[in-house]
Amino acid sequence: MRSWDSMEDFEAFLDDGGLVEPDDDMPDAYREAVFRFIELHANSEYMGGLTERDWIAKAPGLTNKLTALAKTQDEIGHAHLLYMVAADMGVKTRDEMTADLLAGRTTFHNVFHYRAYSWGDQIAIAYLVDAAALASQQAVFKNCSYGPYKRILRRIIAEEGFHMRNGEELLLKMAKGTTQQHELMQEGIDRWWWPSVQLFGPDTRPDDVLLRWHIKSERNEDLRDRFVQKMVPQLTAAGFTIPDPDLHQDPETGRWVSGEIDWDALKAAIAGRGPDSARRLNDARLAWDGAAWVRSALDEAAAVPA
Amino acid sequence: MKTYEVFLKRPGKDPFIHVGALEAPDDDLALSFARDCYTRRSEGDQMWVVAREDLLVADPVELEMADRPHRHNDGALLRDLRQAGDQSAS
Repeated sequence: MRSWDSMEDFEAFLDDGGLVEPDDDMPDAYREAVFRFIELHANSEYMGGLTERDWIAKAPGLTNKLTALAKTQDEIGHAHLLYMVAADMGVKTRDEMTADLLAGRTTFHNVFHYRAYSWGDQIAIAYLVDAAALASQQAVFKNCSYGPYKRILRRIIAEEGFHMRNGEELLLKMAKGTTQQHELMQEGIDRWWWPSVQLFGPDTRPDDVLLRWHIKSERNEDLRDRFVQKMVPQLTAAGFTIPDPDLHQDPETGRWVSGEIDWDALKAAIAGRGPDSARRLNDARLAWDGAAWVRSALDEAAAVPA
Repeated sequence: MKTYEVFLKRPGKDPFIHVGALEAPDDDLALSFARDCYTRRSEGDQMWVVAREDLLVADPVELEMADRPHRHNDGALLRDLRQAGDQSAS
């Protein structure tokens, strides 16, 4: 078993590009922080998968239904992989993580506390939310010091890339569509712009251990800024507007500057007081309870001696 | 439930690579879950699924200490000797 004499030694190992493995005797604070981060990611993939599932039946046309099906499998698959990696850290079992999520004791990303009303919303999610999530994941992957998480992220990022591409395809189709389609899409952007920008979180604090321990590789504000620089020209070129009256281009640098970001909305959503939090969690509980017969069948299969 | 480790070999000359783990009640379902989780886009042409309890795991510290300088040749001495040869020839 590898171990480190002090936090200084451990941090030097991390700064050197060292990868921590599950059997290593890592500092408790590192284990806790990394575990909580992966659990949040796993919860978010799971809740995202459930939302995506709602659109398998509702998506217009067979192609879009098939894509929704594939994306649902991907998101639930990601949750599976991440819950395994998290469980192997020995902080909580998978069952404990599920129980905590369904009881509202743990959190998931703000964007899954809002309701997707229309197909326009669903495209805005695929385009904006997936892009924001992917940018954050890529920044984690780049310098991630926890080996199993880094390896699983490679796969997750590859699959999220498909989703983001699909989101842009659908957005551009709507941009070229009828006036009605254009309006539906604009409504989606209006609803999902701010939650996507808030997904990156407030400016990273100087003492953020996730940054120091090489879980995050970039500051929240840098990732958020890059997202804005990329999305504003793309959406504008497609004929859409951004629901931020104070958004403007800095005359000197040419960079887009957002208006004030409502961080209270982010905090409320994550704390389970978002516009759709209660319904979403209830949906997750229904899905969990509805699959109870599968779990008991598996337990019975496991009890049969080989 | 048992924990299994999943190894995939991509088509071509790559070796098997560990891709992750899963939980399943028995071996048949482990294979089925592994296909669902890890090969939805034919990421491998061969897959091994192994019960974690059956894996023999080496001590990473021993692995790290197994290296010896005399088992390597970084070419530095050869470079010096060749240079010396060139100089004496000119």
